[in-house]
Amino acid sequence: MASGKIAIYSGEIPSTTFVERLIEGLAASGYEVCLFGQLKRKKDYAGRVTTIGYRNTLEKLWHFVSYSVLLTVSKSKNKKKLDQLLARQKKNTIAHKAKYYPVLYHHPDIFHLQWAKSTGDWEWVQEFGIKLVLSLRGTHVTISPIGDSHWARLYRHAFPKIDAFHAVSNAIGHLAEQYGADPAKIKTVYSGMDFQKLPFVAKDKINTPLKVISIGRSHWVKGYHYALDAFALLQQQSSLFEYTVIGIEATEELLVQRAQSGLENKVHFVGQIAFDSVLPTIRSADVVLLSSVEEGIANVVLEAMALGTLVVSTDCGGMSEVITDGENGFLVPVRNPLAIAEALLKVSGLSLHEYQKIAVAARKTVENQHSQAKMMADMEALYQTVLEVSP
Amino acid sequence: MRIGLVLPAIPAYSETFFVNKIKGLQAHGHEVILFVHAKTGQSSFEGAKIKTSPKYGKSISGTVKALGQLLLVLGHVPAVLRFYRLERKGGIAALTILKRIAANSHLLSAQLDWLHFGFGTMALEKENIPGAIRAKMAVSFRGFDYYVYPVKNPGCYARLFSKTVTYHVLSEGMKKGLIAQGIPTANIVKITPAIDVSKFSANKAQPIQKQITITTVARLHWIKGLEYTLEALALLKQKGFSFRYTIVGDGPEKERLLFAAHQLGIGENVIFTGKITPDEVRRKLEESSLYLQYSIQEGFCNAVLEAQAMGKLCIVSDAEGLVENIVDGSTGYVVAKRNPVSLANKIAKVLSLTAEAQKEIAGNAADRIRKEFSIQVQLKQFARFYEGH
Repeated sequence: MASGKIAIYSGEIPSTTFVERLIEGLAASGYEVCLFGQLKRKKDYAGRVTTIGYRNTLEKLWHFVSYSVLLTVSKSKNKKKLDQLLARQKKNTIAHKAKYYPVLYHHPDIFHLQWAKSTGDWEWVQEFGIKLVLSLRGTHVTISPIGDSHWARLYRHAFPKIDAFHAVSNAIGHLAEQYGADPAKIKTVYSGMDFQKLPFVAKDKINTPLKVISIGRSHWVKGYHYALDAFALLQQQSSLFEYTVIGIEATEELLVQRAQSGLENKVHFVGQIAFDSVLPTIRSADVVLLSSVEEGIANVVLEAMALGTLVVSTDCGGMSEVITDGENGFLVPVRNPLAIAEALLKVSGLSLHEYQKIAVAARKTVENQHSQAKMMADMEALYQTVLEVSP
Repeated sequence: MRIGLVLPAIPAYSETFFVNKIKGLQAHGHEVILFVHAKTGQSSFEGAKIKTSPKYGKSISGTVKALGQLLLVLGHVPAVLRFYRLERKGGIAALTILKRIAANSHLLSAQLDWLHFGFGTMALEKENIPGAIRAKMAVSFRGFDYYVYPVKNPGCYARLFSKTVTYHVLSEGMKKGLIAQGIPTANIVKITPAIDVSKFSANKAQPIQKQITITTVARLHWIKGLEYTLEALALLKQKGFSFRYTIVGDGPEKERLLFAAHQLGIGENVIFTGKITPDEVRRKLEESSLYLQYSIQEGFCNAVLEAQAMGKLCIVSDAEGLVENIVDGSTGYVVAKRNPVSLANKIAKVLSLTAEAQKEIAGNAADRIRKEFSIQVQLKQFARFYEGH
């Protein structure tokens, strides 16, 4: 049995799919896991998982009171030290203490923070011998420091001191190096999937018109306007297609573009769909298109690759770490509608045999690289390197 | 004449269009009353009466206030009854009408010759008010209200278009659009935006230099096509052009544009000034050798008028009003929108023109602006707008 006490912190309990899988995996391996933050809904975990969450302000206040007492009784020195630290940082408030006291009291060996922007809030744990591990994921790392130099400054100050980084892709790990993260402390751990829930089904036909879908939230980072530009080009060539974007409400920008480009009959915008219908929707499409200008490694792409639907993706973030152009999907440069259009034409020109060959290769890639077992082994190895250097 | 103008807020002095219009009408001896949603920013406007639309919450006190407003309009029973009948005829439920009476009490109690809605969207659900108060109805379409809002709200102007309205539009394109909706030509008046030409002199025109200085004045909003502009400039950089690009303005898409500039490898060439004063804007324009307005949608665009008045070479997109703002090949250049490759090619071509050729185009533009887009011309058109209908 593995030993060690690991806090997984995303601010919310339960958290994202990745984090939940991580928690369950760690508990199964025998680690003691602590969860802090806001309790969104009650969840029972197997194994040694302690949930120290609050549902509302009153419970948060209770955290403050009860942990003040507990710390005063059993760890008064540490409490005093933290209080002084907070006073210096002008964080001497009940809200901050309600958040920090439980962590100080439970004192995990590792505090694993999921979001980079919160780094400034948690640097103090290192003062008490707790190792700080940060996940490198999402726009916190890729976009925010470019859009606002405040974050770049924070990262340059904080990253050199962090004990270890979990990078969702090699690409995002390299980005962190620009802010002073030690390359030796960065480990890429790809997210793992439960393949039993994602059975591969070989397609028996390629639709005409070609059925293309994108799934994702409504955000400029998804680059949907480049996708629409690509379809406008295909329309000019009288190519047959049907494009559905799932997950966006009526976005003004895209509605205007669709109208200006005369694509009303061929491009559809659908709001969020039920979790259960995501997989069948991916399966019914001929192509999943990722038009993003930035990503870690998009989950929807991994799911499509597992299920047997071909992917056309921009070469952004870590996408080239899963897709090899022409072998297990298609990779196009970012911000390039012409390249998207050409890739879609390529797919529509594939024979069923060629389509299936690429789909099978895609399935193999994700099975090798994105299994849950590999993710857990890699994460544990990451934690072990941190625990081993502990005094 | 008593002219009521319905606007979201009292126009700030920087909103030259409304400010000039109001002053011009006053100079022609008309009384102007402003009906606004809220007194945000400015709280008064020289020489004009201000009426603010009443606001009620959904609380009990809101309901009491609304009932109070209903009592207030009792002094204007005929107008209210006419409004009620017109709305009923339009199939509106009685309770909804009562709510609308309360919400529009400041308009229903007004005595006006004209009620002029400053944007198409401001007339929505108020289509029957001019009829109720026996005022003539005018509506200005300004761009967003005409080209964007209906895409998201199909059919939103059906009721408006069924009324007798005199429309003010900014461009021939908008006029044609309204005619296609069945509006009689005689009821549509094109009055383009105008600028105070005395404030924009072309004397300090800069010839295009080695380090090209390019400027755009625009809100940082998707509608302005700035991401496409950055892509075009990135293409030029790849071809070896050296430039500095200044975007004057602020807005919700700053992060998107900063990231685009960074990702496209032109982060060092692009300067975002944020919001600056009109004098500083003029200085930025003076320094620049090329002006770009590669919008996705544009009613007409004052900034392009100002750049031309200052003798700047302008390249614009073909978004709506811009094709009338610039005479392609004579006073500047027009490029198809959403096409960074075309824009890059056009910029390269314009930069390769001889100094004489550049000067000629810039001169043509400045002359045309002075002749056709001065405030004086516009004021006469507005006076005629009310007097002629």
